[in-house]
Amino acid sequence: MLFDTTQLALERAIEGAGKRHEALAANLANANTPGYQRVDVDFHGALASAVSRGEEPREALHALSFSPARDASAGAVRADGSTVDVDSESAKLAANALEHQAAVQVAHARIGILKAAMGTGV
Amino acid sequence: MSLFGGLEISASALTAERLRMDVVAENLANAQTTRGADGQPYRRKEVVLQERAGSFGASLSAAMNRNSQGGGVEVAGVVEDQTPLKRVYDPGHPDADADGYVAMPNVDTVTEMVDLIGAQRAYEANVTAMQAAKQMFARTLELLR
Repeated sequence: MLFDTTQLALERAIEGAGKRHEALAANLANANTPGYQRVDVDFHGALASAVSRGEEPREALHALSFSPARDASAGAVRADGSTVDVDSESAKLAANALEHQAAVQVAHARIGILKAAMGTGV
Repeated sequence: MSLFGGLEISASALTAERLRMDVVAENLANAQTTRGADGQPYRRKEVVLQERAGSFGASLSAAMNRNSQGGGVEVAGVVEDQTPLKRVYDPGHPDADADGYVAMPNVDTVTEMVDLIGAQRAYEANVTAMQAAKQMFARTLELLR
């Protein structure tokens, strides 16, 4: 098998971070929408449960789908009931972009190793 | 593609926040206008924002999973503020009533400035989100190198 489970997990993590960025961007877009409830994508949890599935993590990773969900735990931060805190959303957005970058760099390095093994140079 | 959806969501917010700034500018410009388009004193205008694509619950998650068309914000409408007009005693004013009072627009310049700053900061936050999406996309492309 050319690509192992780790590589697959990295790819799904990149995809999950992309989806999460969309959810956080939607929160920032609705920073001034009265009564808006923030959304988030828990791709960490989804990945963790897929990887920890003992026998067939590969199938579990393939079957993963990341969907945004309302964050019911967030309390209102504005008088109109909105649960979007612009500062915390910006911080999450920056952290998510870094996680995405980390996953891409590791995936890139692993592809480099494969290339070296194939003798095509890095 | 998921990251292009992110750009589109942020773009919808830039449009909405820019409109808010435009409306604030119009309110400030007309803060002393006693004869509006309908002949009445100018009334403060307000932008009503709403989430795009209805409820996030079902429709949007479906849309986000497939072609990423949902999400973002849109302008539901621009409404007139129906709070009472300010009455200022100015008997020499051509629009003064029999008692010498003039109905002035219900525009409070301080409120408008606060709104302006809020819209401006929200605009900046969304530009940052857009830049992050752009960088993420560029980095993903690096996998091909």
